[in-house]
Amino acid sequence: MSPRVDFGLGLRPDHYEEIAANPGKVSWFEVLSENYMVPGGNPLQWLDTFRRDYQMAMHGVSLSIGSIDPLDLRYLDELKVLVNRIEPMWVSDHLCFTGLRGVNMHDLLPLPYTEEALDHVTERVMRVQDHLGRRLVLENVSSYVTYAASELTEWDFIAALAQRADCELLLDVNNVYVSAFNHEFDARAFLRAMPAARVRQFHLAGHLHKGTHIIDTHDHPIIPDVWELYAEAVRLFPSVPTMIERDANIPPYAELLAELDMAREIAARVAQERAPEAAE
Amino acid sequence: MSLGAPTTNAGSLADLQRAFQDYLLSSNNRFAASVRDTRKADRVTLLDVYRDGYALRLIEVLTNDYPGVMAMAGPADFDYMARAYIAAHPSHHPSVRWFGKDLADFLARTPPFNGSPAVAEMARFEWALGDAFDSADASPIVAQTLIDLPAEAWETLAFTRLPSLRVLSFDFDVPRAWQQRDEQEAGNLEVARADAPTPWVIWRPQLTSNFRSLATDEATMLAVLMEERPFPELCECLIPSAGEEQAPARAAGLLRGWVEEGMIGSFRH
Repeated sequence: MSPRVDFGLGLRPDHYEEIAANPGKVSWFEVLSENYMVPGGNPLQWLDTFRRDYQMAMHGVSLSIGSIDPLDLRYLDELKVLVNRIEPMWVSDHLCFTGLRGVNMHDLLPLPYTEEALDHVTERVMRVQDHLGRRLVLENVSSYVTYAASELTEWDFIAALAQRADCELLLDVNNVYVSAFNHEFDARAFLRAMPAARVRQFHLAGHLHKGTHIIDTHDHPIIPDVWELYAEAVRLFPSVPTMIERDANIPPYAELLAELDMAREIAARVAQERAPEAAE
Repeated sequence: MSLGAPTTNAGSLADLQRAFQDYLLSSNNRFAASVRDTRKADRVTLLDVYRDGYALRLIEVLTNDYPGVMAMAGPADFDYMARAYIAAHPSHHPSVRWFGKDLADFLARTPPFNGSPAVAEMARFEWALGDAFDSADASPIVAQTLIDLPAEAWETLAFTRLPSLRVLSFDFDVPRAWQQRDEQEAGNLEVARADAPTPWVIWRPQLTSNFRSLATDEATMLAVLMEERPFPELCECLIPSAGEEQAPARAAGLLRGWVEEGMIGSFRH
């Protein structure tokens, strides 16, 4: 029987040697799809090595699901090659657009939350799912601007998209916190609006507080407020696999493992809180 | 800067996306009218998170891909160069892995950077190293398989290089300078002009990339081998340098060396 997939980390080249020297510290890794969409060499060797011992989820940054550009079928085909290579538990990307007119801005640009955008993204998610032959998992992004044209809240947009496109959700708890601060909404209301059956994964990360706004940098430890929000997420969506996403200023593997222990403790505490409820 | 009045219907999804991207790529500020201030921050401050982030992210990519160029240029000049490249070469690939692909050509032909040709050569060298790093995998052939061939096979024997193998010619001694890139403060790495243009080979026999300079006749023969010409033609191309009598022995010696160094991917006859 496969071990339970609960707490994981992002697989980062800085940690390859440490992971190899300290096996079994996590039950799964999230891999950045584009980092392994290369012909060969060291990255794919490490990927194959770790895949033998760990479950994996694929996480992309370039699907550009919300773009008005045509879907990049070549990208999807390359993604599928990687899917076939590592047989991930699921494949995720972001609810955003990353560019148009063939240019990739390499950023997760927010969409206006309009009915037009909802129809557009719904249709594209369904086409991607048909192409990949599996459900897509989409992540809420951190955002810094609010479109004047938006007609829906972000949470209503996401919930409607998940329902209409029959896709799943990667709930980035830090991103909810960041966007809630930046756009002055209630982060807990956002969480409560998510369709529980479709929440496939949690992300946790750090950020940079600029006073007037927060930037989602993934280069700091997770702050106490985000841990609290995570506890709320675990209450609402129990047993959802959790990982810490650190992309810059990457600390030693052991340090991230210690941070991950905090997630374990919170999840265990929430489970204990729930136990008496279940017994009643 | 004129923001224009905030609107309640700022246009279609397509209009908004075009305006957003134009805002990030150029000084067209039309998009600012499509987003709102918050109580804590004005919209320009918030939009600058995206505009600054766009440049900084790609500068970081170039910094990681081109440590030798950074060591030569120093942070300020590197930043100036990177911003010029970013403006001239927006990314067209899903992965940032390929963003810096055209940097060497850009530096070689664009003023003022083309006034420092050693920097363009360093960029070309570093990109080739990166290419070798994640090129397609192949196991090099071993010498014994050639030794076991019947003599007549050598009449038609042709080789393919390892997929990672590439040959570059440098006027400056960039590979040796590259090895010293971490030894001094960024901006102080000096690159000497070579006595003559020198061919260098870069290849990855297993997981680690190798590079070394090539003798002139070696580069000549390797170029012919890379065209997958048969062994007699490899010998022939050495006649001008080695003479008719010595050419086959020199060719066999060079080939043996390449096989032992793991440069040859396959052969056929």
